[in-house]
Amino acid sequence: MIAIERTLDTPRWQRVALPFASLLLAAIISGLVLVLSGHNPITTYEQIYTASFTSAGALTSTFVYATPLLFTGLAAAIAFRMRIWNIGGEGQLYMGAIGASGIGLLLGSWPTPLLIPAMMAGGIVAGALWALVPGLLRAYLQTNEILVSLMLNYVAGLVMYFLIYDSKSYWRDLTSPTALVFPTGKTLSAAATWPGLTIGSFTLPLGFVAGVVLAVLLLALVRSTRFGFEMRVMGDSTSAATYAGMRTRRIILAVMAVSGALAGLAGASQIGDFGHVLDPRGLEQAQYGYTGIVVAALAMYNPLAVVVVAILIGALTNAGFALQGPGFPPGLVGTMEGIILFSVLGGEILGRYRIRIGSQLRPQRAEAEADAAR
Amino acid sequence: MLSGTMRATRSVVAIGLVAALAAGCGSAATTAPAAPASAAPAASAAAPASAAPAASAAASAAAPASAAPAASAGTGFTMPVPSLTPDAMSKWTTSNPFKAAFIYVGAPSDAGWTHAHEVGRLAVQAAFGGRVQTMYKENVPEGPQAAQVVTQLINQGANIIFATSFGYQDTLVAAAKAHPNVLFEQATGTEQLPNLAEYYGAGEDGDYLSGMAAGAATKNGKIGFVAPYPIPEVVREIDAFTMGARSMNPNATVRVVWTNTWFDPAKERQAAESLVSAGVDVLGDGQDSPTTGQVAAAAGLKWTGYDSNQESFAPNAWLTATTYNWGPYYINDIAAAMNGTWKTHFYYGSLADGFVVMAPFGQSVSAATQAAILAKEAQIKAGTFDPFTGPITKQDGSIGVPAGTTLPVYTPTGLSKYSINWFVQGVIGNPAG
Repeated sequence: MIAIERTLDTPRWQRVALPFASLLLAAIISGLVLVLSGHNPITTYEQIYTASFTSAGALTSTFVYATPLLFTGLAAAIAFRMRIWNIGGEGQLYMGAIGASGIGLLLGSWPTPLLIPAMMAGGIVAGALWALVPGLLRAYLQTNEILVSLMLNYVAGLVMYFLIYDSKSYWRDLTSPTALVFPTGKTLSAAATWPGLTIGSFTLPLGFVAGVVLAVLLLALVRSTRFGFEMRVMGDSTSAATYAGMRTRRIILAVMAVSGALAGLAGASQIGDFGHVLDPRGLEQAQYGYTGIVVAALAMYNPLAVVVVAILIGALTNAGFALQGPGFPPGLVGTMEGIILFSVLGGEILGRYRIRIGSQLRPQRAEAEADAAR
Repeated sequence: MLSGTMRATRSVVAIGLVAALAAGCGSAATTAPAAPASAAPAASAAAPASAAPAASAAASAAAPASAAPAASAGTGFTMPVPSLTPDAMSKWTTSNPFKAAFIYVGAPSDAGWTHAHEVGRLAVQAAFGGRVQTMYKENVPEGPQAAQVVTQLINQGANIIFATSFGYQDTLVAAAKAHPNVLFEQATGTEQLPNLAEYYGAGEDGDYLSGMAAGAATKNGKIGFVAPYPIPEVVREIDAFTMGARSMNPNATVRVVWTNTWFDPAKERQAAESLVSAGVDVLGDGQDSPTTGQVAAAAGLKWTGYDSNQESFAPNAWLTATTYNWGPYYINDIAAAMNGTWKTHFYYGSLADGFVVMAPFGQSVSAATQAAILAKEAQIKAGTFDPFTGPITKQDGSIGVPAGTTLPVYTPTGLSKYSINWFVQGVIGNPAG
């Protein structure tokens, strides 16, 4: 009989070393794939590094991809850590973009320092409300939030298309010659453009700075507050939380709202930092909400690790466009991303579980089962 | 409880993986109908073919580029021989090639829109040989990310950048202002700058002819159309298609379903299947993939394609299609850029100049129908017929274009082909989506 059992104590060094070993393994496997497809892995890795960080404008580009992934990664991480499976980051991002652009258009004459927080609030509220739909259904009707939040992504996408393509909404530009040829959203006023931190030729988007601050706050919330403690207990066992008298419904709603607010901020940042216009196709093609799930998984749901992983995935996506060409199909870049994901997740599972061959329960396992029975 | 949580964990990991793979391998998966015969031979034919034309072009340097058609590059299209001035010949060499970049909204393997552009790129490579280095970026999202790709191409030394979808227009306008020494060309757009040109062509003329084939093929008078976005470009294609169909069968109707995507075989399939269940017996489409044709073939219906010759995907269903021959345009413009004679322009190709080409007829198109279509094509080429000449009646029965008026291609204000936003009589559907 072959079984997979959980190891109860992972040494600290192993937890730190595992992700790095996994990344090294991913680099080796990717290297093999590159060699088999006729590319030199060393030059390819050099190209990736140059295209993501050192060539002109590369670092700025990397952060264009990293910023939304930071928010959607945090959104997924905070919910998944509590075992609330909010797959709806994509739709919450759309709603956040709708909210933030609506506020940006409405209050376009406000001074920038007031308009930025107003737009962020618009994104937060819209994203949180959208996430509360599956949250309420889960808390009161025990529906499966995976399905509900996933399906709501499509609904949010249709709402966004409706506003720009299928109606004469407040968001749609109905006057410019370009808009007569192809439906577009109204462009926000210059006051609604979020200023980036410019260091030489590198521009750090304001949204990224906000995301890092939020990551630190989230870590503090989970680690050092009573609410964070309740969230962690519930993450480990809902019945334990109920038994301890915690109000699990309130926790579910709070987690969904925070998760949705973060994804909504991703949408607000897309409007304020980059697009300055509600662009349904651009947002839909980018798929930042879904990629955020990958970022969260690679970061093992740790908010600070999300910051690092968002930059790495942003860099890889950015390099992907620089690499691809007649001799380098984009599928190869996707393959490399997939290999990294498999290695890191696989490494984590192998670190936490071990494969046992035999029929007798080991003392450790028996102890664990006795624990579970209690 | 425990098993429930376990299941949830697993499905989330699965969804994460699916998301990652979808993001990465999406393009790989859709590569299935990959560059058929046309791409590879063209590339391999490139090297030997290129030297000679380039040299002969030098001899007749004064002749305009479009004069002498030659070198088919294995695509079935006729490509012009570029004429370079002696100065350009000495400036752009294999050690210092002119760099032409293409930004694709989909993958060259889509067997439709992007494939047609890729055929054009390969024709450029074949025509110029080592003097021109072509590059492309595929699956580039239309939005803020496109700006980064443009920057990367400029960093890689691109001298001219062709953006092949309308959604790149804002990005290109900004880039053209920021980089006055790089030339930009935007397909299907409207904005012009000293270093930003526009190019496209009268696909609607071809769609009128496809519509004739569909109108002749339908038995119950019900035609379906799988349409990408509710925008004037697509609305005028559907209008022309419908007018063509009704010229063959005055009672024919065209039912429209929107997909809100240029290229998404899954959505295109759903839309086509919904039309089949609505009882249509001929399908047309304005999508980037031949999926609609595969649905038509499976249901035993007839089909008109779009963008490229897609007959091989559903030979029994195939009627014909509007296809675009981008190669000659690219070759001429790149030659002009190399010669230093490039000027901004608004190119609108036609059946007459060979930019719009009707794909070969399918086996089920009768000789009489073929003759009727060819006669109409000859009229369009001769300039004696334009589908958008009034009287044209709108869907609601009111007059869209009065008798004797022909819509202009594009005017910044007023009704033009580029701003038409209503359906003609015979279309079932909402032009606002």
